[in-house]
Amino acid sequence: MSLAHPRVVIAPWTYGFIVALAMWIATTVYSGLGSAGSTLSAALAFGAFSVTVGTGQMLVIASGPGNIDLSVPSVMALAAYVSMTIMHESNSMTAPGLLAALAVGAVAGALNFLAITALRLPPIIATLAWSFVFQSFTFNFGGEATLKPPEILSWFAVWRVGGVQAMPVAVMILTLVMMIVLRRSVFGRQLLAAGQSERAADLAGVEVGRVRLTAYMLCGTAAALTGFLLSGFTGGAALNMGDTYLMESIAVVVLGGTSVAGGQANPLGIWGAALFFNLMATMLNTFHFEAGVRFLLTGVLIILIVAIAPRARGS
Amino acid sequence: MRIKLFKNATALSAMLAIWAATQPMAALAENGIAKGDTSGKKIAFSNSYAGNSFRQVMIKSFEEMGAQAKKDHLIADVAVVSSNNSVTEQAAQMQNLVLQGYDAIIVLAGSDTALNGVVKDACNAGIVVVAFASGVTEPCAYRVDYDLDTYGKAELDYIASRLGKQDANLLEIRGMAGDGFDKRLHAGVEKAAQAHQNIKIVNEVYGQWTATVAQKEVSGVLPSLPKIDAVLTQGGDGYGAAMAFKSASRPLPIIIMGNRQDELALWKKEYDAGGYETFSLGATPSVSQVAFWVAQQVLAGKKMPKFVEVPLLRIDQKDLDAWLSKVPNGGVVNAEYSQALVAEIIDANANHTPLPAVPAPK
Repeated sequence: MSLAHPRVVIAPWTYGFIVALAMWIATTVYSGLGSAGSTLSAALAFGAFSVTVGTGQMLVIASGPGNIDLSVPSVMALAAYVSMTIMHESNSMTAPGLLAALAVGAVAGALNFLAITALRLPPIIATLAWSFVFQSFTFNFGGEATLKPPEILSWFAVWRVGGVQAMPVAVMILTLVMMIVLRRSVFGRQLLAAGQSERAADLAGVEVGRVRLTAYMLCGTAAALTGFLLSGFTGGAALNMGDTYLMESIAVVVLGGTSVAGGQANPLGIWGAALFFNLMATMLNTFHFEAGVRFLLTGVLIILIVAIAPRARGS
Repeated sequence: MRIKLFKNATALSAMLAIWAATQPMAALAENGIAKGDTSGKKIAFSNSYAGNSFRQVMIKSFEEMGAQAKKDHLIADVAVVSSNNSVTEQAAQMQNLVLQGYDAIIVLAGSDTALNGVVKDACNAGIVVVAFASGVTEPCAYRVDYDLDTYGKAELDYIASRLGKQDANLLEIRGMAGDGFDKRLHAGVEKAAQAHQNIKIVNEVYGQWTATVAQKEVSGVLPSLPKIDAVLTQGGDGYGAAMAFKSASRPLPIIIMGNRQDELALWKKEYDAGGYETFSLGATPSVSQVAFWVAQQVLAGKKMPKFVEVPLLRIDQKDLDAWLSKVPNGGVVNAEYSQALVAEIIDANANHTPLPAVPAPK
């Protein structure tokens, strides 16, 4: 296709946005124009969580072939439990709670990386193993109950400024910062260099280990932040709050145009993919499809998009 | 000839009546707690998943009751093993329990059919197998479970009693696609809905019994829906549904609650503020205790049906405060099933009499 029409090459990351837009329109047509705004705002609110956790996952995936973090759901839950325990529904403890959540995430990321390098485990095994450990920590943190967030956190999670939800906007700013970091900062360039060729990066003087450690720590931190915010949004920390984000964090990254082979990352595309996932669920629900058909269509659509979207550079 | 036949028939039916009258006497003789010696027996619990608060409480209830029974010399030992939603792992664990010489294995199965092989092996080895809150199709196992038709009927009957004959739109929140519990409860809802032609289920979403997922799914589908009068739930999803209606600035419909503390607290808050009424229904995590006592009673020699139905725990407006004061913050409503209560439940099943209700706390 791109050979026949060399001028209309659409960047891979735009496909998520295009399909998401199509689904938004289809849903709106089905259920009336009045629903357009609320459908989009629900997709943005929930998409923001997928984007936050996905952005962390993207850094890990981009840091080199085979790198992936499967401990994301359990880090989310652990960070949420730790921070809710510290805050104890008290507004004044929100800042320490947030810091504790972020610290949990950073430590979890560092532990993941240590297991990968020190024990020479494949990332898939190392992070999965740690996820069981994190999960059992969470059990001991009072897994028998949902821990409530302080009021200010719940308020922030649904806060609107002039009709615009604040949290998705904050996450959009995060995406913007991440784009600049990857393009302009030393860390960003080193991360992508390490992802493209570990040996070449090493010879060029990049400390590959340190760069990857940072990527894993940022990924853990992003997961922890998501867990923290999600507790505010949904009324508490629950053991299984992160479960749906395991596949989703990886899927939004790949659909967003980031190469699984590493060395190339696309923060903006994650938004398109996250909106796609949320609007697709809405659309399939709205159209009253049977559960089996929903799964089938979800799978087919993902395969189609990945197949149609042109391959990213370098792969 | 006709008269003779009639006479014979009356004689026969009289005999039948006498026979029938003596039968319950025989059954009654076995009512109550079987006292056979089980102090040397070991009971294990194979659990398919431990990753949510409901299951955590379920395990804890089992361990507490087991420890107490051990202290009372009713049992030698108990053990709990959990697999991580992996049926093969659970099958392997059960095989180990068989080899370790447990006398009874209680199983919360991750699949209706995949454990049949190992369940059969255990039965053949003379082990009592009690499957609970999950349908194991192998007939040698005792089953302890809720009747999900009753669950669905109770939800719809309550809604009908509130809304009367007017047309009503319902949203159904289901559990997990393909799951046995979800399928059976949904079938119960469909069956019960036939009796209420004015009630229309306008859409269904899968909430996975999780507040976060339910909130997300309901939020996504709400803009496309007309005014919703009531929401059918499966437990664990009521609070998320309420959050979705609130963030969409829609009035709160009748949401059937599922015995979670956050749901009950929300219900009370809304009741105090504007007279919001609903009711709450659900499984109790301590159903593991029922399975425990059923296994113990089988070992003690009690005759019982292969299927033991457990009553659902129901909370109505008048009992709301009492239950709310007992449930831990953020937790699930739970009840203790003593050996005596379980014996009553078993007898009610054997005699086809109404199940004893779980009493509200004083």
